[in-house]
Amino acid sequence: MTTRRNFLASLVAVTASPRLGWAAVGSPAYIAAAQLPDGVHVLVGLDLAGAETFRVPLPARGHAGAAHPAQAEAVVFARRPGYFALVIDAGTGRVLHELMPPKGHQFNGHGVYIDGGATLVTVEQMAEGSAGRIGLWDVASGYTRIDGFATHGIGPHDVRLMPDGRTLVVANGGIETDPTDRTKLNLDTMCPNLAYLGAGGDLLEKVELDQELAQNSIRHLAVASDGRVGFAMQWEGEPGMGWPLLGLHRRGERPVLAEAPLADELAMKGYAGSVAFSADESEIAITSPRGGRLNRFAPDGRFVAAEAREDVCGIAPHPDGFIASDGLGGLIALGCEGARPLARHECAWDNHIVPL
Amino acid sequence: MRLAIAFALTVAQALAGPAQAGVNEALDDHILPGFERFAGASADLDAAARADCTAPALAVPFHAAFDAWLAVGDLRLGPSETGALAIAFWPDTRGFTEKTLTGLIQQENPIANDPEAFADLSIAGRGLFAIEMLMFDPDFADYGPESYGCALVRALTADLARQAAALERGWAESFAAVLRSAGAADNARFLSEEEAVRAIYTQILAGLQFTIGSRIGRPMGSFERPRPARAEARRSGRSLTNVLGATEASVMLAEALADWPLPETRAALARVRDTAAAIEDPAFADVDDPAARFRLEVLQQAVAAMASSIETEIGARLGLSAGFNAQDGD
Repeated sequence: MTTRRNFLASLVAVTASPRLGWAAVGSPAYIAAAQLPDGVHVLVGLDLAGAETFRVPLPARGHAGAAHPAQAEAVVFARRPGYFALVIDAGTGRVLHELMPPKGHQFNGHGVYIDGGATLVTVEQMAEGSAGRIGLWDVASGYTRIDGFATHGIGPHDVRLMPDGRTLVVANGGIETDPTDRTKLNLDTMCPNLAYLGAGGDLLEKVELDQELAQNSIRHLAVASDGRVGFAMQWEGEPGMGWPLLGLHRRGERPVLAEAPLADELAMKGYAGSVAFSADESEIAITSPRGGRLNRFAPDGRFVAAEAREDVCGIAPHPDGFIASDGLGGLIALGCEGARPLARHECAWDNHIVPL
Repeated sequence: MRLAIAFALTVAQALAGPAQAGVNEALDDHILPGFERFAGASADLDAAARADCTAPALAVPFHAAFDAWLAVGDLRLGPSETGALAIAFWPDTRGFTEKTLTGLIQQENPIANDPEAFADLSIAGRGLFAIEMLMFDPDFADYGPESYGCALVRALTADLARQAAALERGWAESFAAVLRSAGAADNARFLSEEEAVRAIYTQILAGLQFTIGSRIGRPMGSFERPRPARAEARRSGRSLTNVLGATEASVMLAEALADWPLPETRAALARVRDTAAAIEDPAFADVDDPAARFRLEVLQQAVAAMASSIETEIGARLGLSAGFNAQDGD
């Protein structure tokens, strides 16, 4: 629902900079980063059939992206430790803005536009100690840094806006990393959490799992329209334990772990790379590029089915149910009746596929 | 005329691609016969258990079934992706197999006489390692012919034979066609022929990695703390046998997949056999002796060298490398 504040904010954003809308770049349904066979990185727009609507070069491999809700521009975050994020013009590939985190901060994965696109939210951590921070950037004034606050956890990775349009939900992965690389420093003492933050950064609710799951790093998020949150995890403890890798949570309730049958759990190799609700929100799925498969669950956590696909990682809603992307260039659609191929591009799709 | 035929053949081969040929050969020369043999050996074990369920009577058919399993046991593709775990649940990091079996025996759970319900039992309580524990672990192995343990062994061998037959069917009647039809318009599993080749190649390397990291690496532990109790199939004294069987199987599959010779891989396999011959304890129970641990490390390096040879002789030639996202880890 568009609030008055959102509407005004988007009006300001659109009028302040005469930028093209997504229709001008073929009205993509998704954006995704990819690596071409010659090693060049690109940002690609895709329609629902998996066909390319635009393609622009990226200066380096990114991790995740966020698409502006109205203007044909996307922010692409560097791989961790992230020293920069780039706002890319989806029409020309021009780098519109280069965002640098404040001194001592690093971008740490994802970001999201809020306030109808007036504000960009970035996930950051302090280089020393990995304490999580949220960064707020004003889009209309050319992505100027306007505010920041704590995520109430270590090593946050993903952030989403809740359906109320104000509350942020953050995946605090719990992992402290070396300031200069991705070496993990605290696997024996890590303590991930799911944190809900108010618009001013106040902690509204913090969810932690039982102690035996303390090494299950909460890393990626999906939010349904009724406020259910799915959180995907990556197991940092001894391999072969077969712990659940998906949790479901609703504000004020205990989290529910979505458990697959043991063999299907073990086949995920302790690693979920992305999570998404299906278009009608009747299912939620997690992908494992290491296991070459994805597991589908009902919103109550019941296991539905698995689908095998080499190096699969990106997943997003699609009219069939889901769309999944993989490192072999494949795009498949998943519905009640299983998978169907959509397209195969000469590229390796990067970790995430971002719906518009 | 002969030239024209030769040329036509070359063109046909080029159109079919070396990829397609390799997939068919991997299936027909190695994978499908392997599952057929394992199904046969499992049926033999079950027949033997029905005649005499006691541990000494089952040793020969048990080892024969396990040997047959190693030819195809490291595949984690198609019906084997999850099916393999219900046949060989190892490593058992959380001790599920012992817990499940102990629970069944303490309760004398009637599930042992109910084949349909037995198929719903936790995969940790079924398959070769559950049978091995009952037959070879001193806490279980003294079951008598009229005991609950005997009934449980029969339930396990019947379940194994049923699973083996289901795997054989799953491969022969269903998944083989998915691999062979790679690139077809309705094939969402393999979007090109190259992907099917890649999938089998990946299985070969993953199997070798499992041997390096788990079959050998787990009992080695660290120098300060070797972990002999973590050796695979140590109760039946098959730890070394399994390393060799799995390694040989990976070379057979690699040779079936490649329609060109693999001399470096063959030489590396000979070196694996040589280093294995120096191992004194087939269950790796002596790994806390530094000299024995060193010999195991040499074996581990030999298997790793063999994996590198396969990467060179197949992977590099086909331009295959590890997964883009699987490697990224974020």
